[in-house]
Amino acid sequence: MRNPISTSVLSLAAIAGSLLLANPTRAAPFQLEGDPKIAFIYATTARDGGWNEAIDNARQEVADELGYPVAVAESIPEDASALKNAIDLYVQRGFNIIVGTTYGYSDGIADAAEKYPNVAFVNASGTTNSDNLESFYARTYEGWYLAGIAAGAVADNDKLGMLAGFPVSVVNWDINGFARGVQVSNPDANVSVLYTNSWWDPVKEGQATKSLLEQDTSVIANNLSSASPFTEAEKADAYSVGFQLDMSAQAPKRHLTSVVFHWDKYLIPTIKAIAAGTWEPNRNGAFPGIAQGVVDITPLPDSVPAEVKQIIADKRAAIIAGELTPFDGPLIAQDDTEKLPSGESLSDEQLWAMDYLIQGTVGGGQ
Amino acid sequence: MEQFITSWLGSTPAFAIPLALASMGLVLCERAGVLNMGAEGYMALGAMTAAVLTLTLGNPAIGIICAVLAGAALALLFGFAVVIMRCEQILAGLATMAVGLGIAGVVGRPYVHKSFAGLQPLDLPVLDRIPLIGRLVFNQDILVYLTVLIGVALWLLLERTRAGLKIRAVGEDPASADVAGVQVQVQQLVAITASGALCGLAGAYLSVASSSIWVENMVAGRGWIALALVVFARWDPLKALAGAFLFGAIEALLPRLQAIGVPAPTYLMNMLPYLFTIAVLLVAAWSGSKKGMAPAALGKPYVRQDRH
Repeated sequence: MRNPISTSVLSLAAIAGSLLLANPTRAAPFQLEGDPKIAFIYATTARDGGWNEAIDNARQEVADELGYPVAVAESIPEDASALKNAIDLYVQRGFNIIVGTTYGYSDGIADAAEKYPNVAFVNASGTTNSDNLESFYARTYEGWYLAGIAAGAVADNDKLGMLAGFPVSVVNWDINGFARGVQVSNPDANVSVLYTNSWWDPVKEGQATKSLLEQDTSVIANNLSSASPFTEAEKADAYSVGFQLDMSAQAPKRHLTSVVFHWDKYLIPTIKAIAAGTWEPNRNGAFPGIAQGVVDITPLPDSVPAEVKQIIADKRAAIIAGELTPFDGPLIAQDDTEKLPSGESLSDEQLWAMDYLIQGTVGGGQ
Repeated sequence: MEQFITSWLGSTPAFAIPLALASMGLVLCERAGVLNMGAEGYMALGAMTAAVLTLTLGNPAIGIICAVLAGAALALLFGFAVVIMRCEQILAGLATMAVGLGIAGVVGRPYVHKSFAGLQPLDLPVLDRIPLIGRLVFNQDILVYLTVLIGVALWLLLERTRAGLKIRAVGEDPASADVAGVQVQVQQLVAITASGALCGLAGAYLSVASSSIWVENMVAGRGWIALALVVFARWDPLKALAGAFLFGAIEALLPRLQAIGVPAPTYLMNMLPYLFTIAVLLVAAWSGSKKGMAPAALGKPYVRQDRH
């Protein structure tokens, strides 16, 4: 228990210190010069059926709601010189808000932010931040957790499967979040994990799905974005869970739900703040989740029992209220090591370092 | 276990056929002395053409034929650049690749992520239930059988016919071939066009048979793997075919091992197709005869001395 007097002394000292340190170079809210002009830069096509498309849908919302000029550049490679050229051209043409869309832009966009201190930069899934640059990602594992509860409830057996790209933290937390959800409704079930070693390969994804279905897997969760896993699952009468966009059109009968992004819920408030002169980039990057509306699941079909829907609604409300995270301890990895003791929650730092899969998952050896 | 092997072998062609067709096409091209870096682009164009026409016309056959023509047409453009205009082959190849990827991306844009029925396997009752190899041999689509036929035909052409001798002569020593009355430029153009046609077919297989969908970048580096396969197959079409099947077999095995929960490191497992194929083909190359060297004039533009 902290002494209230010493606390107030400390905060007084902090205020005095910040006054003393205040000088023109210190971070103040970012001030935009001129009217907002926004440019979105994509590494591949904006209509990629997944990651880019989710951001591009938000771009349309931004344009509709805010009415600022919005430009789009596609297929700008992830090397610094190509990105630099694109940004230079936009800035010369008076664009003053640049939205990057990939991890691979992290360094190039940081250089540009330094070169153009009067231009605001945000970058999806980036790792760099500064006075005029904020990277953003979303707590996708929260959506996967809710989807997992639904999937565990409809599984005909205790075999679920999940396709993913590479064993990196942003993927592992989706898998672990999904497995955590499955355990809520189906504690005996296991999630078989398949990494395809690619973000983008319908042939591999289709074959990986077939491999899971050959093992009588009754729910296919797809962390990737091609349609093949959904059509294969539908053919075999297995349920499927999608990611990034609503994938229900790919499997009209057996699509269970999709974990989707609503990037407009981040981009619109951020761009409004930039325009209003109140934007202060988070030095650790923005990391919104279900509470901010950036992540959610699509409406559940009738195949999910009403009581399970109620559990999901309760858990969702608890996440929004900050009373629950999908990774409340104890958290035990596949190899039986305890990653987090009972009574604790994973910090963001621990999330970004998630290099393990938890109990309740099978395979996915790293 | 039997079921496991049957379905594993049965899905090997989905991975193997695109590599086999593209690498055999590149073998032909390189035997004629032309280094063709455009495969990735021809394949993308083929994949897009086949998928878009199958989607709009509902007929995979027309799609596949047009994919072959599209690949051939793009290769002819490359041929014009390197054979007639004598451009640097690597640069011209890369440029053609970019053209192919670009056209595929722009034209195919309205058709991405739309599933279609695609090419179906032949329906041979009883035979496909033969254990282990039943599905591999008797439950495939027509292009799988065609690919094997093309491999044998290409080998016969190159090794056993006068026409093949001309192509090889051009690749080894175009000046001598020219003196002997071989039309160097015609031979090279034919080989280049045929390689584009085979790459277009390889792309068509990816979209219409392997996955029944078109998405941008779906070739995903297979053109480059095919190019490497040519070298490891020592410019022999049958070895390229075998190497592609080997590579495809291991690629098909990986997800199945993961699905049954084999606790092997993912990154290590994903190296296996490359390591295994390189090892086997290297052993095959070393244990073979003196044949299997790169065509002597590979990559060198041929300029006739007496022309002005």
